[in-house]
Amino acid sequence: MTTATIPIKLTRKDFVSDQAVRWCPGCGDYSILAQVQKTLPDIGVPKENIVFISGIGCSSRFPYYMNTYGIHSIHGRAPTLATGLAISNPELSVWVITGDGDGLSIGGNHLIHALRRNVNLNIILFNNRIYGLTKGQYSPTSRAGHKTKSSPMGSIEQPLNPVAVALAAGASFVARSLDAHTTHLGETLAKAAAHKGSSFVEVFQNCVIFNPTEWGELEDRQKRDEHILYLEHGKPMVFGKEQNKGIRLNNGRLEVVELGNGITEDDLLVHDETSREIALLLSNMEYPDYPAVLGVIYNVTRPTYEEGLMAQIEQARQKNGPADLNKLYRSADLWTVSAREEVQSEVSGEVPAGLDEQYVDEIDKETAESSEVGDRLAEESLAALQPNVPISIDATDSLAKAIRKMNAHNIGCLLVTDPEDHLIGILTERDILMRVAGVVEDLTAAKVADYMTPNPIALKPDTPIAQALHEMSIHGFRHLPLVDEENRPEGIVSFRDIVHYLKPELS
Amino acid sequence: MNLKQELKAEKVIHLDLSGYCQVESGTPIRDVLAQMRAEKHNVSLVVADGKLVGIFTDRDVLRKVAAQPETWDLPVDEVMTRNPVTVTADTSAAAALKLIEEKNFRNVPVVDEDGRILGDMTFRAIIKYLADRYPIQILNRPPNPERFPRKPEGG
Repeated sequence: MTTATIPIKLTRKDFVSDQAVRWCPGCGDYSILAQVQKTLPDIGVPKENIVFISGIGCSSRFPYYMNTYGIHSIHGRAPTLATGLAISNPELSVWVITGDGDGLSIGGNHLIHALRRNVNLNIILFNNRIYGLTKGQYSPTSRAGHKTKSSPMGSIEQPLNPVAVALAAGASFVARSLDAHTTHLGETLAKAAAHKGSSFVEVFQNCVIFNPTEWGELEDRQKRDEHILYLEHGKPMVFGKEQNKGIRLNNGRLEVVELGNGITEDDLLVHDETSREIALLLSNMEYPDYPAVLGVIYNVTRPTYEEGLMAQIEQARQKNGPADLNKLYRSADLWTVSAREEVQSEVSGEVPAGLDEQYVDEIDKETAESSEVGDRLAEESLAALQPNVPISIDATDSLAKAIRKMNAHNIGCLLVTDPEDHLIGILTERDILMRVAGVVEDLTAAKVADYMTPNPIALKPDTPIAQALHEMSIHGFRHLPLVDEENRPEGIVSFRDIVHYLKPELS
Repeated sequence: MNLKQELKAEKVIHLDLSGYCQVESGTPIRDVLAQMRAEKHNVSLVVADGKLVGIFTDRDVLRKVAAQPETWDLPVDEVMTRNPVTVTADTSAAAALKLIEEKNFRNVPVVDEDGRILGDMTFRAIIKYLADRYPIQILNRPPNPERFPRKPEGG
């Protein structure tokens, strides 16, 4: 099981599957696939212990082309599946293949939590700064101003910096490489495989169809060395085709300097891959403002998630003895659920087959009338109270006329309507008490409009009685007007109608 | 227990009987009206020597006072209903409601054996008692309670 002895020396061909590769001709993914297949024979893990898990996207077709175990999983969730697998079998070498969209947009959360937990994974993020599989929409790493199919006037979003995200998430190994630089890519992948814990490798990758110029001169074999800072642990940061430029730390800021004229390698920053501070500084160097930083940016050893978890399980075993799931299950409060008696429910809960096309309220109508008055108040509508015909008055009429009208009809409530018979107010004896009596001496000069309650709460006749009870209770109304769909008065119900409705129950 | 049984078992003293004003016999109508407005009550119970002697409601205001400014400075005794029908603390809610329904009352004062006021059973006390029975059906009622999804939720 262990990695100490492998009887047969594997080669790249052993990791090539029989599947036809379906990436566009010229895609950077080919280079990464070839380098992974070339690196794996040397990482000292048997083929059957290697798993590739991907999300969704062009890069995520990767597992098909690897002659290993693999899962083409769901969008953004490759780190999640990989975490479960790595925990369940720590012997495995688990590789996560993701892209800038899959890993940083849809799966952003999954990625950062896998990194901070330091699960033993090798996460390769193919960064082409575009959604290729869906044909050219801008991605979370697309440059501000980048014109794509979904940003025709230029992206207005600040891009994510994958290396900075990984460092912020607490990754213990962060590196970067380039698809076109095969030797560098192979070496970087080997270092990632050797690291225990989460290894994060960003690969600058070229989308030949939708974003072919993204990496500019980095893709040009003749010119790229002028623009790449190859990191080496313990070495000063020198770069350029002639090795004539370097990175200097000046008052907390990184600056590009030319060697000579009194500046020597001793003035340059020396890379220390165990320094988080240097890693954070390097993560802020973004091509083309600075040279592209390639190589191992950060590499420290800290306990992996699996180690911590297994240690706790072992500790619990020693303390409590072998686990018994059945016993654990029965140690909690248990109770027996007996079959329910037939319960009358308002909604049956099941939609009979074939009734899709109509709302099921048709079959849900009440069939039998309830005999209990308490239920009837909730079930029956205000129409069951046999509402009285309302007496109306114009808003322009005088209070004197209104009071005469109320006294003549022996009522305590008038509905105020406009010329089109719409309900616009209500005038009750309470309004007379609160605003008129003892205050207004000349009732003929006072207009109803000035003393009524405007825009009163009015209900439709099909409102349940119980709801009217609540309106009356909350607002202190003795009367509630009923209106039709056009807000024309249809009737009026009073507290007395409700008492009358209860009369048969009172003796 | 159903509503019918509950109304019979419930004593009026357990209802909310606080919705009234109390004024002394002889108080000018103008002052009674002001007190009713200030305390936002529709009814005044009139007492003399601590005992209930009359009742004055917004219906009396409408019928006898509002359009008759000449009454405003008279004592309330002139327009109140004298010796109103009362119930006692242990009268059942059903019996009090029956009284209200049959005699067309809108208030029934609740008094002890000495005629001292314990409260007033108003329309609001009754409505509140009934409304409190339907908290969930009414307050949590969706706009279209009979609506039913056509298909199970998909994702």
